[in-house]
Amino acid sequence: MLLYGLDFLVFVGIFGIVALSLNLEFGFAGLANFGKVAFFLVGAYTYAVLSQIGVPFYLCLITAAVIAAAFGFVISLPALRLRADYLAISVLAFGEILRLLIKAEHGIAGGVWGITVSPAISLAGVSYRVDLLVNIGLVYFCLLICFIVAQLLANSPYGRVMRAIREDEVAAEALGKDRAKYKAQIFMIGSAMAGLAGGLYAQYLQFIDPYMFMPMITFTVWMMVILGGPANNWGALLGAGLVEFFDRGANLAKDYLVLPVDPSNLQYILFGALIILVLFYRPQGLLKESPIKTKALELVRYGRGVVNNKPGK
Amino acid sequence: MEEALLRIREVSKHFGGVYAVNEVNLDIREGGIWGLVGPNGSGKTTLFNTILGLYKPDHGAIYFNGKCISNLAPHDIYGEGVVNAFQLPRLFNRMNVLDNMLVAARGHQGDKCLHSLFWRKSWQKQEEGLIEEALDILRLVDLEKWAFSLAGELSGGQRKLLEVGRGLMAKPRLLLLDEPAAGINPVLGKSMFQKLKDFSCNGITFFIVEHRLEILFEFANWVYVMDRGRMVAQGEPHDVVDAPAFYEAYLGEG
Repeated sequence: MLLYGLDFLVFVGIFGIVALSLNLEFGFAGLANFGKVAFFLVGAYTYAVLSQIGVPFYLCLITAAVIAAAFGFVISLPALRLRADYLAISVLAFGEILRLLIKAEHGIAGGVWGITVSPAISLAGVSYRVDLLVNIGLVYFCLLICFIVAQLLANSPYGRVMRAIREDEVAAEALGKDRAKYKAQIFMIGSAMAGLAGGLYAQYLQFIDPYMFMPMITFTVWMMVILGGPANNWGALLGAGLVEFFDRGANLAKDYLVLPVDPSNLQYILFGALIILVLFYRPQGLLKESPIKTKALELVRYGRGVVNNKPGK
Repeated sequence: MEEALLRIREVSKHFGGVYAVNEVNLDIREGGIWGLVGPNGSGKTTLFNTILGLYKPDHGAIYFNGKCISNLAPHDIYGEGVVNAFQLPRLFNRMNVLDNMLVAARGHQGDKCLHSLFWRKSWQKQEEGLIEEALDILRLVDLEKWAFSLAGELSGGQRKLLEVGRGLMAKPRLLLLDEPAAGINPVLGKSMFQKLKDFSCNGITFFIVEHRLEILFEFANWVYVMDRGRMVAQGEPHDVVDAPAFYEAYLGEG
């Protein structure tokens, strides 16, 4: 049971990073990236291939992030000129193309048979439990870095521009913000984080194959962001925890519950119900959008006591 | 004659078979308030959008400060110093009023990705100054009290005022205002024009579309009249009201 709990923590950490990256793209900048799994895949395979030729794990992780960011940049060139819904479809297709390519091309990374990955930090003769603890340390260290970056970006003038682009990109453009440039940057940052998470995923599982990167991963991460609250980094983490918890919980419950439906789909039924409930009763997510906080703003708001009345109608 | 700030030469823009703007010529010199009037559908807003780079003109060229801007992207035209306030306010609704203002600020260091992460000291200093400026402008348009309310919660008139305030925040050389007084109570509308007049003494030139002619004509130095895509009359306000083309535009022929 303890091992199961630790395993759960690792998954929350890894998907927390992906949720943070989607939150940057969708929550703050309004980019509907339905191809999140593509960059996760790029990171995972980069890590796997590099680690097989003996590159140390930290270099593998950094390269995974960089290569994923490069993919993000390339995809952003055509995709970000599209409207939100077309952007969603085209990156979704991109993810599938990439997955099928890896599956079909045995030369790249084992094709359909997958590829084994050596563990990042191998200590001779330690138990599986210690190994897990090392992994948790590594994953949460990366999560911490991503969280700090996301928080700093969100609470800065850059974050203000991101939100402005989400709210009205034509107005932002007319106010001197090069929307294509901003979108490409945000896409790159988001993809780098997803790539990093992919690398961590590969090294934790020590084996990856194309079937682990189905579009379902993208939708799981979307659920995390929508449940937790878009444009709130804490919300993304909360969402990651909740979705993982429900996923695991439903999986465990299957064995004990007698249901009139096929229990193997229990978690999807639960997720569907949960999403509908949240969208009905709390469309902004569990946590509200956090306002931009910079030192100067706080000073004005609380130091000088500008009145915060409700506006008159 | 001194060099015009904005020169529009033979600019046309058509949508399908409709010439929204048809071979328009126009000169705006530095300083003062310049008016643009005409009945609905006469092409005023299309002309504004063409100046801003939101539409590319089909023919003709637009020069700002001697430089051709008709092929620049909107954000580069902002960079040259042309800013506008939209007719239907395009605010950032889920951001508060002060943040709406700060987005418009020119040359904010923290707008750049790496700056915002690694050189936080430098832009934080700058931001303090920008917030003071923003609050000053908000005071002018009577919105200071609502600085920390969401823009989406403002009333229609307040949205309009914020849109104008955001334009002023961008410190433009030329500010295009599309019906700034529409939907604003008459007293406030007039006092806003008075304040714009004060601003125009500090190096901002205004080019204003307005249907409330009595207010515009009181403050404008020069007025252009458009009708069905063409520029039909121009002159000082008291001359324009006597021009036959002006009556024709508004009341029709005969």
